[in-house]
Amino acid sequence: MAAKLALALLVMALVAAPEILSPYYRSLALAILADVALAVSWAFFSGPSRYLSLATGAFFGAGAYLTAIVEARVPWPLPVLGGALMGGAMALLVGALALRLRGPYFAVFTFGLAELAKHSLIWYETGVTGTVGRLILAPPEPWTLYYTILCLAGLAVLTALALRRSRWGYALAGIGSDEERAETLGIDTTRVKIGTFALSAAFMGAVGAAMAPRWTYLDPQVFNPFVSFQTVIMALLGGATTVAGPIVGAVFLGLASEILLLKFRYLYLLGLGLTLIVVVLALPSGLAGLLRRSSPSPLSSPPAGERAG
Amino acid sequence: MSMKRREFLKTTAGGAAAFTVLRGKAWGQAKPVRIGYTLSATGPYSVGAGITQGPNYTLWQEQANAKGGLLVKGEGRRPIEFISIDDRSEHETAVRFYEKLATDDRVDLMLPPWGTAMNFAVAPIANKYGYPLLGPTAVSNKIKDLQLPYFYALLQQPDQIMGAFAGILKELKAQGKISKIAIAYVNDLFGIELNASAATALKEAGLDVVDVKSYPLGVKDLSPVLKGFKAAGVDAFVGLTYPPDNILATSQAKEVDWNPPVWLAAVGTAFPFYRDRFKGAEGVMGIAGWNPKVKSAGAKEYFDAHVKKHQKEPDRWASAFAYASLQILERCVAEVGLDRPKIKGMVDSTEFQTVAGPIRFVKGSNVSTPGMVGQWQKGEFEIVWPKSLATGTPVVPKPAWA
Repeated sequence: MAAKLALALLVMALVAAPEILSPYYRSLALAILADVALAVSWAFFSGPSRYLSLATGAFFGAGAYLTAIVEARVPWPLPVLGGALMGGAMALLVGALALRLRGPYFAVFTFGLAELAKHSLIWYETGVTGTVGRLILAPPEPWTLYYTILCLAGLAVLTALALRRSRWGYALAGIGSDEERAETLGIDTTRVKIGTFALSAAFMGAVGAAMAPRWTYLDPQVFNPFVSFQTVIMALLGGATTVAGPIVGAVFLGLASEILLLKFRYLYLLGLGLTLIVVVLALPSGLAGLLRRSSPSPLSSPPAGERAG
Repeated sequence: MSMKRREFLKTTAGGAAAFTVLRGKAWGQAKPVRIGYTLSATGPYSVGAGITQGPNYTLWQEQANAKGGLLVKGEGRRPIEFISIDDRSEHETAVRFYEKLATDDRVDLMLPPWGTAMNFAVAPIANKYGYPLLGPTAVSNKIKDLQLPYFYALLQQPDQIMGAFAGILKELKAQGKISKIAIAYVNDLFGIELNASAATALKEAGLDVVDVKSYPLGVKDLSPVLKGFKAAGVDAFVGLTYPPDNILATSQAKEVDWNPPVWLAAVGTAFPFYRDRFKGAEGVMGIAGWNPKVKSAGAKEYFDAHVKKHQKEPDRWASAFAYASLQILERCVAEVGLDRPKIKGMVDSTEFQTVAGPIRFVKGSNVSTPGMVGQWQKGEFEIVWPKSLATGTPVVPKPAWA
C-alpha cells in the first residue's frame, strides 16, 4: 500500500515537474528520464537474454537524425513515431544478421553498427544532398519535449514489466540461461530474440528523435559510441536483470555526474570513476540489489527464468 | 613528530589563507560581475577549446581584475567572477548548463563554448534569454539561417576564406608559379562548405582544379591522396582540414617525398605547435587572421601578455578574435552597463577597434575582417594576402620540408 502511494506520488511529481521546476532542473529531469528510457529498454533485452548490445548509439542516432531531416515538415510527435519505426526496422535487419553471433562477437558487431550508420549517412548526405549537418530551426516547446520523454520512459518501464510476466519474457530468460536448451524446449528463439531486440531499439530511436530538437544542429557525429557505453554502464550499475535496476542506475549516474561536474570541474571524471568502481565492487548485483534485500517486489527481483537457472 | 608538525603547519597555513579570503570578501568594495560559460576540458573539442578560447578568457579576467575589475557604467569597477564547467564536448550538457546560467545562476553575461556545433546548440538559449553571445569559433554558412538576433560570429566565414585562397592562387598563377591546383577536404560540414565555396571562388578567379578528393573525419592515412596528386603533377595543394588531418597530411607529404610549390591548408596551420612540430614549417600557408605584427592597437601587448600568463603563444587565427570578443563586451559594459538589450544595441551599431583589427557586425556577421592567407616565415605566420593587410610577401615555391 505504502509502495503504491509512493509510486502515485512519484508519477504526480514527474507530471507536475515542468510547472514547479526552473528550466535548468526541468532539463536535468528530462536528460535523466531519457537515460532511464534508454537503460530500461536496453536491459529488457540484454538483461535476460545476455546478449550484450552496444548498438544503442546507432538507434538513438538514427532517430535523432530523422527528426533533423523531417523537421518542420511534420507535426510533433510524428518524428518520434518515425524514430521508433526507424530504430525498430534497423534492429530487425541487424538482428537477422547478427543475433546468430554469441558473446563478444555480437557486442563487437553491434558496436560497429554506429560507425557503419555514421559513414553511410555521410556518404548519402555528401553524395546526394550535397551537405552534411542540419539545423532544427523550429523546435517544439521545452515542456512538449519533457512530456514526450516522460511518456517514453513510462512506456519503457511498463513494457519491461509486462515483458517479464509474459511467456515471451520467460522465453527470453530461457535463451539467456541456455539457448540450445530453450530451442529444444520448442521456443522459437530467433523470433523472440529479434522481436525483443527490435522493440528495445524502437524505444532508443524514439528517445533519439525526441532529444534531437534540443541541440539545434545535428550532423552524423550524433551516432556517438559514448551513448552505447553509457547505457550499458547505467544498466549494470543499477542491476541489469531487474526493472528497477536500470532506473536506479540512470538516476544515480545522472545525478552523481551532474553534481560532480558542477562542484569539481577538474576532478569530476576521477570522482565518477571512483564511484563506479566502489559501487561495482561493493554491490555486484547493482544498486537495485540493495532494494531487493529490504523488500522483495516484482520491480526489483530477477525474472523467473533467472531464479530457476 | 615531523608529520604532526607538517599537519600543524598545513592547518595553520590553510586557516591563514581562509582568513585572508574572508577578510577580502568582507572588505570587497563591489559585487562581482558574474559571467558564465562552458568550455570542453574533455572530449574531442578540448584541444581547440584549450588553445583558442580558454587561455583568452582567463587572461582577460586576470587583466581586468588586476585593474580592480570590469568597469561598469555608473557603478565603477567590479571584479569578474567566472561560472563555468567542462561541457564534456556534449551538446546536451552545454545546453543544460546555459539554461542553468540564464535561469538559475542569472549571470550578468555569457561567453560562448568552443566550436561551430556547440555554438549552434547554445545560441538559441542565449537568444531566448537575451544574452549577447559573441562566438569566435563558429564557422558555417548556415549561421545566417539561424536568424538569432543575439548571436554574433566574429570569424571569417567560408566564402571569405575561400575568396582569399582564390585571390592568392590567381596571382601566383598569373606570375607563372603554379598551374595545377588540387583540393583535399574533410567530409563534414566544415570541409564540405569550404569546398563548395572553393568551387565558386576558384571558378570566378578563372582557376582550374585538376582533382578534388574527400576523406572522412578521423582519417588515418592520406598518402594515397597525396601520391595521386603528386603523380598528376599538382603544384598547389589545398587542404580543407582540421588540425589532426592537417598534421597527418603534412607529415605524409614528406614521407611520399612530395613538396609542391604551394602547400595551403585550413585549420591547424596557424597553431604555434604546428610550426614547432614541423621545424619551422617554412613556407607552409594556411588560413590566417592575425599575428603580433598587425597594425591594430594592442596586438603586441596582447601577444606578450598571453605568452607571459600561459607560457605559450596565441594561435594566429582565432585566438585574437576570442580576445577581441571580450574587448567588445568590456567596452559595451563600460558605456552602457550590464543592461543586455542596450549591450546588444551597441554591438549592432558600433565599429570596435580590437587587437584583431576593426570589427563591425551586420546581421550578426563580422563584415570588417576579410579572409586572409598566412605563411610561416622564419617563425612568424606572416599575413601574405590580402595585400592591404599583408605583413610579408609570399615565398613560392616553398622551401623543402625540414
